[in-house]
Amino acid sequence: MNSTAEQVLDGCTKGTVLSIDFFDTLITRSVAQPTHVFAVMEQRLIAALGDTWRGFAVARIEAEQAARLHASQQDENRDVTIEEIVLQLAHQLSLDMGQRTMLIELEKETEISLVQAVPFGLAITQGARERGMKVVIVSDNYMPASHLVAMAHAAGFSWVTADDVFVSCEHGAMKHNGALWPVVFSALGVKSNDIFHVGDDQHADGAMPGKYGISSHVRSTMRTSHRTMINTTPAVLPLSRIEAWYRDTMDASTWDVAEVLGGGLVAMVVAAQILDVQSVLAKREVAGVHFAARDGYLAHQVWNTLRERGHDLPEASYTAFSRSVVWRSSLVNADALELDRFVGDDEMVTLPRLERRVGCALVAEVPQDELLPATVSREILRNNAQIIAEAASGLRTRLVRYLTAQSLLKPGHHVVVDLGWKGSTVADLAEVASDASNGASTCEGRFTGLFWEATPVRLRVALHGYAMDDVGSADDNVRLLGIIKLMEALVTAPHGSVIDYAYDGSPVFVETKPELDAYAAIVGRIANAAMRGALAIIEGTHESGVTAADITPQSVWAAMMQVGHTPRVDEIEALSAIHHVTSVDHEGSGRVMVAKAPENSSSICVEDLPEMYNTLMHRHWMQGSLRALENNADTRWIAHEMYRINPMTSPRWVS
Amino acid sequence: MACKRSGVQFPSAPPMTMVAVVMRTYERPVLLARAIASVQQQTLSDWHLVIVNNGGDPAIVDNVVRIAQQSTTSSSGTISVLHLDARVGMEEASNRGLAATTSEFFVIHDDDDSWDERFLEVSVKAMGSHVSAAAVVTGITRIHETFRGGSVWPVMHEDFYLTPGRLTLRGMIGNNTFPPIAALFRRRVISQVGEFDASLPVLGDWEFNLRAVTTGEFVYIPEKLARYHTRTSESDSASGNSITIGEDLHRSVKLQLQDRWLQEPAVNGVNKGLLSMTASTATDIEETQGGTRTRVDVEQIANRTAQIIALQSPLRRVVRGVLHPRHGVRAIVRRLRRIIGK
Repeated sequence: MNSTAEQVLDGCTKGTVLSIDFFDTLITRSVAQPTHVFAVMEQRLIAALGDTWRGFAVARIEAEQAARLHASQQDENRDVTIEEIVLQLAHQLSLDMGQRTMLIELEKETEISLVQAVPFGLAITQGARERGMKVVIVSDNYMPASHLVAMAHAAGFSWVTADDVFVSCEHGAMKHNGALWPVVFSALGVKSNDIFHVGDDQHADGAMPGKYGISSHVRSTMRTSHRTMINTTPAVLPLSRIEAWYRDTMDASTWDVAEVLGGGLVAMVVAAQILDVQSVLAKREVAGVHFAARDGYLAHQVWNTLRERGHDLPEASYTAFSRSVVWRSSLVNADALELDRFVGDDEMVTLPRLERRVGCALVAEVPQDELLPATVSREILRNNAQIIAEAASGLRTRLVRYLTAQSLLKPGHHVVVDLGWKGSTVADLAEVASDASNGASTCEGRFTGLFWEATPVRLRVALHGYAMDDVGSADDNVRLLGIIKLMEALVTAPHGSVIDYAYDGSPVFVETKPELDAYAAIVGRIANAAMRGALAIIEGTHESGVTAADITPQSVWAAMMQVGHTPRVDEIEALSAIHHVTSVDHEGSGRVMVAKAPENSSSICVEDLPEMYNTLMHRHWMQGSLRALENNADTRWIAHEMYRINPMTSPRWVS
Repeated sequence: MACKRSGVQFPSAPPMTMVAVVMRTYERPVLLARAIASVQQQTLSDWHLVIVNNGGDPAIVDNVVRIAQQSTTSSSGTISVLHLDARVGMEEASNRGLAATTSEFFVIHDDDDSWDERFLEVSVKAMGSHVSAAAVVTGITRIHETFRGGSVWPVMHEDFYLTPGRLTLRGMIGNNTFPPIAALFRRRVISQVGEFDASLPVLGDWEFNLRAVTTGEFVYIPEKLARYHTRTSESDSASGNSITIGEDLHRSVKLQLQDRWLQEPAVNGVNKGLLSMTASTATDIEETQGGTRTRVDVEQIANRTAQIIALQSPLRRVVRGVLHPRHGVRAIVRRLRRIIGK
């Protein structure tokens, strides 16, 4: 729990002046991070002046970096001005004088339209003034004091005048290097121990004032929603607005990472699943809508709630099928190679576990508790091929009975909603449905994301990737592959995978301890927040202002990248406990989603990195693992080398 | 030659659409499925995709199209298939596809390439603001991919080198500077300069571009909205690009074209064949010296070479250069150094 403004002021006994940082201490914006203001500008520029302004936000960020570099070469104490930044931008974008003036005005207008008071900033300035303290603003920024005054007024701080504002770009000195403090002392005629400073930056607002003998309080809660700055494009705004809303509502309490993940990214994905189906219903006759277990669980729950609330939606099924169960049902004429796939090359399993995998008792002369090497297991499977085929035939009968009950064999076109990623399981399902209905049932797979392995599957079933697909850019395809494990862990159901169907037609789910533990610890809370958030988005009641109109393929992809590709430290820590259970029988402890850093990093050499890259990409959450490596001083070089070898894995995903 | 249509049937006349997309294919169903998806996902919906099945098994193509049409997309364009009974040349296939459509603009979409979803929207918009343009060409990403055993995966990608200068007659005359996937043409160009040259087994797009550019400018949009896919050497041979598996044929056809142009009368004192040969040689210099002279400006060389040819009895030098390539290259390098050094 953060200190209240009263508590902070109570701790300041000597000060007669409260000096307060401006951005993210006194005021903030209704977006998750400062650069997203430029995304709003880009959105407005494109709407007013056309596509030539696409990419403006990134150009604006790069122009500021260039201007700062240029200024520091002249005088390291001084800050840049907005005019210098726009001059750099003019070089990049070939802007004339009129356009430069327009951009400065637009930036000021946009800042004012998004500004809002930080509740803590409001409380502490009110409290200080009530205690008779003078309140001044000390800020490192490129905007003139007059603009900061205008922003302060727009945020409700009507008492602020230009005399109360000390901004770096007007004084040739910065708070960041301490040079601005003598300016403040001189202007106010006070000494360092007369000032109590509050800000959000450990260095500029904590360490540097301390060097000048100024007491301070650092409160960085407004920074909790920040991610990699360069990834700024209009598509990031929906998640940005949701995360900004969470930042503001949790300011006085504690940042709840599960709530934010669920109400942000996952809510957007779930809303997209539903809205995508609605778009299909608007375009063609559909015999049935089927949300696939487990990726469609949350969307199915929300769908049903919307129906209960009177939304005009047809009944939809929640249909349980999995890669392994559909595959096993197809093994009626399995050859040896297919049977071998029941066991991994380096896997050791007992006979009972092998029997559970194939769904029948096997004839073998081995002790029940003996761990069998893959060669022995496979020999047993081959010797029992006929028994396995009979079991597969039985499973197929039960599967068809189940699909009939789910109305998937009803003649007509069916929509199957799944998270992703290759479409092959939906293709298998579509073939079962088509065979069992003599071709009367056709399916269309609606996925959140597909990557290049979906291309050959397009010959078997109609596929649509909402946020990304195999036709997307190669880099984005790789980025999608890197976040698959994360998405599967977050967008899921409270039950395990289906492994069989009972004779009464009900699916048999397998429960695993790692998945149950993860659900109890965090995934369940994420799910609840996601369902609430998705409902609010679709019904237009979300307090962030995000509505169904904001849910687009671009914004959902951006949300997936914002969290999945550039996770914050708190997200990596919270999700590190999740294990992914992938074996064909869904037994065992699974793999950790965030790979652990090697214990002895000095033994790792560059030649090991390709293998490590493959492991992270296919078995773990790539970006969560890379960031974890990067956050550790000993292993940071591994992450950086990975970025160098595979640039698409670096934090920048906006081109 | 007989042909039959399937998919969406035309009434007596094909429906008038904004863009006709002609996709030639021959027994590459996996890549075809991807290419169709690339068209279906366009944000501009007023298109008519004609798939010209160039002598391949009709059932395979029909199956791919049938499944693709079961996908509900935001785009509402139409798809039809033209089955040719026997295989014809690529350009003849293009002409057949174009004849089956009426539209304001057209694109040749190879069955192994793909677009960003905004390609048609942006290109058509650009045509609207450049009313005299013959074509719009977007930036290109070249994707190197491996196709093996029915699966395809990206290996790497790179920016395809293209500039406005490479879309002028002088910029294009030495070599084919862009693949068809990047270009949207105004349909009237065909009535002005004729259709694709069906006698050419390859490079028909280059030959057409050189005629088309005489009717209006090729507008360049730097945004990379076209994806030119090429298969790596590890790929199954049936999946290869015409340019990567038929380099000798390309070279031979290029020489034939240059011979043809040499016999054409000069325009404004410049013979198209001479210009092409010299500009082509300049490009060869760039390629052979790529390791030592990294940023040779081919367009500049082509332009300056054209000036030289126009001013100084060109035929003798060029013929000598063709007969004795090493001498010719050396002479051109000497001359260029002298000019560039001024």
